[in-house]
Amino acid sequence: MVGTPVFLIAIPLLAAFLIPLIGMIWKESVRIIPGLVLAYMTVLSASLYLFILENGTYVETIAGWQAPWGIDLVFSPLTGLLATIMTFMGFIVWLYSYRFKSNVEFEAAKKYFIFLMLLVAGSVGIVITGDIFNQFVFIEIVGISAYALTAFYTGRNSAEAAFKYLIMGSLSASALLIAIIIVYAQLGTLNMAEIAANIDQMNVHYRIIAMIFFIIGIGVEAEIFPLNGWAPDAYTEAPGPVGGAFSGIVVKAGIYAMVRMMFTLFDISGPMKILIVIGLVTLIVAETSALRQEKLKRMLAYSSIGQMGLVLVAFGMGTKAGVFAALFLMLNHAIIKPLLFLSGSFLTFNTTEKYISQITGMAKKMPVVSVLFALGALAISGLPPFSGFWSKLSVLTAAADENLMLIIALVLIISVIEIVYYFRVINRLFFFEYDESVSVKPHKPGFNGMIALFILAGLILLIGFYPASVTGYLDLAADDLLNTHQYIDKVLQLGQSIIQ
Amino acid sequence: MKKAIVIFFLAVFGYFMAITFLSPEFEADRNRNGVKDFYLEKTVSDLKTANTVTAIVVNFRGFDTLGEVTVLFLAATALGSILFKKRHHIGERTVLYPASTIVGSGAKLIFPAIILLGAYVFIHGHLTPGGGFQGGTIIATGFLLMLISYRNFSISHNILSVIESLAGILFVVFGFMGLIYGGSFLENFMGTGILNDLFSGGVIPVIYILVGFKVAAELTGLIYTILHEKG
Amino acid sequence: MDTAELIRLGVYGTSILLILIGLYAVLTKKSLIKIIIGLSIIDGGIHLLLIGIGYVKGGTAPIFSPGSEDAVARMVDPVPQALVLTAIVIGFGVTAVALSLIIRLYRHHNTLNIDEIKNLKW
Repeated sequence: MVGTPVFLIAIPLLAAFLIPLIGMIWKESVRIIPGLVLAYMTVLSASLYLFILENGTYVETIAGWQAPWGIDLVFSPLTGLLATIMTFMGFIVWLYSYRFKSNVEFEAAKKYFIFLMLLVAGSVGIVITGDIFNQFVFIEIVGISAYALTAFYTGRNSAEAAFKYLIMGSLSASALLIAIIIVYAQLGTLNMAEIAANIDQMNVHYRIIAMIFFIIGIGVEAEIFPLNGWAPDAYTEAPGPVGGAFSGIVVKAGIYAMVRMMFTLFDISGPMKILIVIGLVTLIVAETSALRQEKLKRMLAYSSIGQMGLVLVAFGMGTKAGVFAALFLMLNHAIIKPLLFLSGSFLTFNTTEKYISQITGMAKKMPVVSVLFALGALAISGLPPFSGFWSKLSVLTAAADENLMLIIALVLIISVIEIVYYFRVINRLFFFEYDESVSVKPHKPGFNGMIALFILAGLILLIGFYPASVTGYLDLAADDLLNTHQYIDKVLQLGQSIIQ
Repeated sequence: MKKAIVIFFLAVFGYFMAITFLSPEFEADRNRNGVKDFYLEKTVSDLKTANTVTAIVVNFRGFDTLGEVTVLFLAATALGSILFKKRHHIGERTVLYPASTIVGSGAKLIFPAIILLGAYVFIHGHLTPGGGFQGGTIIATGFLLMLISYRNFSISHNILSVIESLAGILFVVFGFMGLIYGGSFLENFMGTGILNDLFSGGVIPVIYILVGFKVAAELTGLIYTILHEKG
Repeated sequence: MDTAELIRLGVYGTSILLILIGLYAVLTKKSLIKIIIGLSIIDGGIHLLLIGIGYVKGGTAPIFSPGSEDAVARMVDPVPQALVLTAIVIGFGVTAVALSLIIRLYRHHNTLNIDEIKNLKW
């Protein structure tokens, strides 16, 4: 053991406060310390995850007060898996941007890495906390880091994208606060497990109102349909690696918060259908919008929203197979989308507009990056033998078990649409001649960036050829999410610390 | 047309809010046996802290406060990042109307008193209403007064960021000391003393004083950054 | 209807009214500054609501003074007061970031009118 779950939050915060001090003496430290912290977080969450797989869910109390009274951190097969994915992706994004940001000044670089580190820490906090108000605080930490990262470049549109994101984020945070007020006024507690245990005492009317406010409150981070207006702009205007961090880390935290709320807090059969409806609308709107985009990053952003819609549909089935499929989709998306964003960011490095037409024929100039981009595109559209195929297949089998033929048909149609718009890019990339007048000047990718891309590509191939390497973990996580009683018992009664 | 839609939407929203909060059932159905009684009881018996709100903010829900302090830190950093310019002209500030002699002398006179009041509020945060956030804000208003009264009043940005960082680091370090000496992060590991004494409540006043320094430094920094911004 | 009930209705009614006024400002006003003021009004309404749910009939402040250690039964709920402190500070941070974004937008566009700034599509 190298620590307990609270280290996942406390160490990045300590480092964030330390960096301005050390940065005054040793300038390079502002790049190195965040990397060390993210590497440490990855190792810590991976080792904790392996530990809890053997010894069962670990509940850590803060300030020595037992679960309903104090704040608790829950490290279970589900939250551990997500925390490990997030910290790992945070490390990859850091690795990619380590030299990528060498062209910006010291002050700007310092702030960029502080925001990136706290973005990861806040997302991990959303996942492992067991208290709704604490979750709200972490959502705000993620929110402010995300606004600042979106407005990082001093171009015209970045401030506007960030402002739009801020207005939506702030309104939704208000909704979340109202939901918390209703729940606290009725049940007198903020602990998730205790709310889940006492939810029957709440009047049905208040339960529905609180649930609607929760959905609005979390929907902005989870990118569900009417609340995702910020996403395409923010992904386009933010620095390249940040798009990868948003899609790989922040959105996963949002989806987790929403699913935990639906499955554990408001454990009634009705809302499952709500999730399917929300997911389907998000999926259809986003994928049809992606088809019309002229800019590479906007297309990737809409594709990301669509994938999240599919995840919600899979969760909405409410069965073991559905949850398994949804988690598998989340895992694959967390690996593939950053690959697409990072390699796409190399391809369009020397342009500010990032039109798809500007990368015509780039495969002749940057063959390796182009092949990696194509690999990601093939994987995310669900073509065998890459990892995306297995997750889409599991969605289809889960839907078939439930006889949801409409969903199967829609998922297949959506897959065709995805293949169309990704092949449009691949076609331009590989089968068009490089044209000086249209295309951008190629940029020589940095060494560390290429390592990050190769790690991600390797993972895609690994999961593609040996899906059994991850399905066991996903299976445990799905069990963990569905077993509400076990969650309540673990948090409320067996809350003593196991490790001393 | 747009206004009509907005008003319709607001009417629907207001109706649902009203039937939620204004109906008598909202009070009747409430479960009063929540965490509240436990907090009130333990604050006196275990923590020996007179102000229950402080005990909750710093100890029972201290993790929230750590997050909250981080939000302020992030906001200050974000302000610097968003308004960052290559050549930053510090000290050149556009003042439309220079302050009169009366304002200047008055500000000089009450500035020490404001600082003293702020320090009093955060040192006594565990005994009386108030605490680190309130005291820090009061101190920041003192600096705001000086900044608007004197055009050439300047504060070193480096000193502010050193205070801010040190206070944050010590907060986390106290959290880890709780983990080492008490068994869990942010645990109250010091002796708690006697209720209503200045030196009571163990680690609670220490952490709240750190929060006070941090908030004062951060708010002053925020004001300073915005005041030196030329549109 | 007794006085306590009237006070309750007054507090909840005022906070809901504040939230509605703030939402109206955010949705209809053209000036960026006014939108931010609207957000702050919404925040104010929610904070009032949060404080309001902690009220106990005839309650006193949750602070123990010498000799009043037995007043626990009459004390108002301290948890919403602690939560509202956190919420206020977070709202302040968000407002500060929003204002700095407005300064940036004004620097580029020389206007605060939202209709003249829109060059990103929905």
